[in-house]
Amino acid sequence: MSGERGTGRAATDPLRRAVPLLELRARGFVVAVAWGSLALGCAVGLAAVAAWLIARASQMPEIGAVSIAVVAVRAFGIGRGVARYLERLASHDLALRGMTALRANLYARLAAGRGTALAGVRRGDLLARVGADVDAVGDVVVRAFVPACVAVVVSVLSVVVVGAFLPSAALVLAACLLLAGVLSPWLASRAAARTEAASARVRAEMSARTLEILENAGPLQVGGAMDERLVALRRTDRELAAATDDGARVSALAAALQSAAVGLAVLGALLLGIPAVAAGTLDPTELSVIVLTPLAAFEGVAALPAAAIQVRRSRRAAARIMGLLDEAEAAVPAAPSAPAARTERAGSAGETPAAPPRTLRALDLSVGWDGTPAVVGVDLAVGVGAAVALVGPSGVGKTTVLATLAGLVPPVAGSLDVPGDAVLVAEDGHVFDTTVLENLRVARGDLDEAEAVTVLDRVGLAAWLDALPDGVATLLGPDGATVSGGERRRLLAARALVTRAPWVLVDEPAEHLDAATADELVRTLVADARATGHGLVLATHRLTALDAVDEVLVLGTPPGGGPAGVVARGSHAELVGRDPGYAWSLAQEQPGDPAAPVADLGSATARR
Amino acid sequence: MRPLDPRLLRHARAARGYVVLTTLLGLLTAVLVVAQALLIARALAPAIEGTVDGSWSSGPEGASLLLLAAVVLARAGTAWAQERFALRAAARTIAELREAVVVHATALGPRRLASGRGPEVATLATRGLDALEPYLVRYLPQLLLAATVTPLAILVVLGLDWVSAVIVVCTIPLIPLFMVLVGQLTAGTAQRRLVVVQRLGSQVLDLLTGLPTLKAFGREIGPQARVRALGDANRRATMGTLRVAFLSGMVLELLTTLSVAVVAVGIGLRLLRGEGIDLEAGLAVLVLAPEVYLPLRQVGAQFHASTDGLAAAEQAFAVLDTPVHARGTTPAPPLRGSRIELDGVSVRAGDRATDAPAGLSLTLDLPARAGGATGRVLALTGPSGAGKSTAVLVLLGLLRPDAGRVTVRGGVVGAGTGTDGAAGTDLAEIDPASWWSQVAWVPQRPALAPGRLRDVVRDERDVTDAAIDAAARTSGLDAVVARLPHGWDTVVGRGGTGLSVGERQRAALAAALLDDPDDVPLVVLDEPTAHLDARGEQAVLDAVRTWRDQGRTVVVVAHRASVVALADDVVEVVARPVATGVPA
Repeated sequence: MSGERGTGRAATDPLRRAVPLLELRARGFVVAVAWGSLALGCAVGLAAVAAWLIARASQMPEIGAVSIAVVAVRAFGIGRGVARYLERLASHDLALRGMTALRANLYARLAAGRGTALAGVRRGDLLARVGADVDAVGDVVVRAFVPACVAVVVSVLSVVVVGAFLPSAALVLAACLLLAGVLSPWLASRAAARTEAASARVRAEMSARTLEILENAGPLQVGGAMDERLVALRRTDRELAAATDDGARVSALAAALQSAAVGLAVLGALLLGIPAVAAGTLDPTELSVIVLTPLAAFEGVAALPAAAIQVRRSRRAAARIMGLLDEAEAAVPAAPSAPAARTERAGSAGETPAAPPRTLRALDLSVGWDGTPAVVGVDLAVGVGAAVALVGPSGVGKTTVLATLAGLVPPVAGSLDVPGDAVLVAEDGHVFDTTVLENLRVARGDLDEAEAVTVLDRVGLAAWLDALPDGVATLLGPDGATVSGGERRRLLAARALVTRAPWVLVDEPAEHLDAATADELVRTLVADARATGHGLVLATHRLTALDAVDEVLVLGTPPGGGPAGVVARGSHAELVGRDPGYAWSLAQEQPGDPAAPVADLGSATARR
Repeated sequence: MRPLDPRLLRHARAARGYVVLTTLLGLLTAVLVVAQALLIARALAPAIEGTVDGSWSSGPEGASLLLLAAVVLARAGTAWAQERFALRAAARTIAELREAVVVHATALGPRRLASGRGPEVATLATRGLDALEPYLVRYLPQLLLAATVTPLAILVVLGLDWVSAVIVVCTIPLIPLFMVLVGQLTAGTAQRRLVVVQRLGSQVLDLLTGLPTLKAFGREIGPQARVRALGDANRRATMGTLRVAFLSGMVLELLTTLSVAVVAVGIGLRLLRGEGIDLEAGLAVLVLAPEVYLPLRQVGAQFHASTDGLAAAEQAFAVLDTPVHARGTTPAPPLRGSRIELDGVSVRAGDRATDAPAGLSLTLDLPARAGGATGRVLALTGPSGAGKSTAVLVLLGLLRPDAGRVTVRGGVVGAGTGTDGAAGTDLAEIDPASWWSQVAWVPQRPALAPGRLRDVVRDERDVTDAAIDAAARTSGLDAVVARLPHGWDTVVGRGGTGLSVGERQRAALAAALLDDPDDVPLVVLDEPTAHLDARGEQAVLDAVRTWRDQGRTVVVVAHRASVVALADDVVEVVARPVATGVPA
């Protein structure tokens, strides 16, 4: 994958960078390899000693001559299963310790990185899959590192055993082991790379076509376009099969090589061994050993093609993890006035009492994610107990402005003065797998139960809270799965009410809420700002409740293109009187409008 | 769960051919494995017994080695063919199942796709079916080898040395027996522990995914130690389950290796005593004994590939085995001059105990000739969730109502009296293609075919560029065209310039304006709700007026007062909770 290559620091193998984060203990690794080698060593030993036993027995010696061999064969027969069991436990323990360390290291470095919140906003998908990626990196221990080391140990052992009797046969065995253990895995890895490269684009296209058909089944059928789309899907699938087929050419070679290597080793031993016996330089019982040992010696290297493919898979996962870390740790210069010690304040941000009367001020501010301005020329002054709203179509850059005010993105140009902490209540804020109370304590550690009940009541969650089995002590489940979209919004808004940061920035509080609830929530947030004396900046696309705020900034894109800017500003009343677009948008939201979402079906029926 | 589901063979042609090929290759492998063992023994035994001399290579030993070389080559060839065609067959099987699932899911209609199963079907069709690859490529061949190599090897061992055969035959049933016993003894423990493991794992993930939120509130340091502590607890719990789970693997390895050891020792001791076995047979049995067990061990090792693959197949069959309504076959009458009636149409809303719409009745009279009369605009109104869009799906024949029906009577409008009493044809009996060809539908999120924008809008109809330009002016598409890099020649859709939903909607409006009003007399519009500005609203109103002026009948799902004001008829759609037996 070309994405794995880069410049400078990123040029090094991401897997090599990620493995130290696993903090693998040498002792644990040696133990796992030792058990694994013992297990496969038992298999090789069983084959070798049994071959000797049968050859020797056919010479009909005294029973005493073979009694040790009999015991050894039985011991190897038992030892293999037991050693393999212990090896699996040891390697999995090692891998699990590694995954724990990787998760902890990842957490620590993400927590320390200044860009984390930013990365979280932009790379939420990556964060969500980080669990699977950590597992994939950890798997490299069990599925690649340990098997590879075991294969080396057992291969060397087999070559030494055979070499002790006939060095030339040992050379043939070594060559065959290299074919099966190096060339074949290399081919398998090549095949996987080839399939991947050839199918990445086709696979994406197949996904897109499938989803298009499933999502637009009705319109495609009515429009008479369904058959054409199915034909296209079939064509794409044929391309995908062709890409797989291309890789299969190489991987089939790898499989043939694996099989041929064993046979060649046996054949070579026979070809070299029989003349040696005829010439009297090799004992007949030893011939049996050098011919039959190779049959068991290849089990270790047989696991290596799969191991090579696992390394590729783990490397891709490592690349995603390291990319996330790099982004989080990329030096994001501090916003001019944001305190540099932001990351060091241990759980205190929300708990500092409101700052002395000051003003959050932006002058001719330009903002953007990558230094390219998305919104330019923003002038903003928010005083204590004041509320300002940013409105505009989705995608215009409201969130970027808030992220900049919060110090998560450096301003592109202009000046920004944020005295004290600015807390951003993001639209996709996380609801933790813990109690309702703990979820609110994220915003303020000393919040007590009574305060929690009050604040939930203020955001309109009183009825919801009453229905919960354990009140504020109810567990919410993984990623707030038991919470609906609207409840989630209000829970996040409750965090905005709880925090004691002097500046509170709330992104889209009205999303997923019906009109009346949304407006009520905005008014509650504004009233709270006025009562507790913090400054509030809201980003929203719903206008009705904005008569409560002091100033509204309408963001929009100029007709000729280019970065967005403030196209109108003023109080709600002024804008309604002055700006026809604003008035039209507001009119769309008026009650009685059939579009107004009505949650209660019962009332709809009653109207009939 | 059967290891090889016959439904897989029924639904995927590629899988049938593959199973035949793999069985043949399995048989060939079995023969080759046996031949290899016999040839090794034949070459080795005389050398050990000291009966070979310097001219051995021209004797029977030399011939054995030549044959052995041929067998080695043939085995490599078999392995090559197996891998070569397994991957190809897997790709084709997955493709066949994907197409079958997609076709069947769309035939099941929008209700199925809109319900909770929709995303599930999408995941299955795009990624889920990939789990079949390891199943087909790794598991199935081993399963078939267990059915070919194992029995043939046992038969040959029986011919060579019946004592060893008895040992092997006795141990084989022990393998599943012990695995089942261990499995049953440990299942409860494993299940309990698994719950703990999953819980701990999700808590760590929860902290990681929530990190940006914690950081936003400055509370990211505290949980750091907790991540490590949870990880350690997770490891301990996981190891607990693994200690138990790996037991069955140990039983498998122990039984198979130990029985090989017992066979080897048995042969050795009988050779020593000169009891009815010769060296060559003994060596052949020694080589064959592990081969008997190898496929069984591989089947055990690929167990997860099998369960994942079969689970994916099972999901596919669940879709494929859901019965679909038979498509109607009666050709639709010409809609010009037809009367379409919805009579008491109710549709149960998903999982809720609600009908949405409930008992909807309306009548549409389509004028006989486009030029003869202006059309009418019928607006469906009602709160969201009342079933307006569902009513449209019923009218389009994409959804069958749970109660009531849609009927069509041709040639009654403007034809005087007489046929008025005749019963109409139920929409369910009408061939959908003949119905859809007379209807234009502009949905909320139109899907445009990829291609040059002008070709997409023209859609292979015989219309002039001037007409297209006029339609673009009405629908507001002209503003979009002005913005596009190559104007009308811009390639849009997949691989081309992306169009927003609003822009696609304008293109769909323009396309629907270009229909021949006689051929396509009915227009169904789901009015856009999202991010519409004043200019966009005007475009919708202009399009609806134009359709009416073309003499077409327009059914519009109306969200805005301005659209409702334009309508000639307004029908309010209502939802109603389903009676629960107790009269109110």
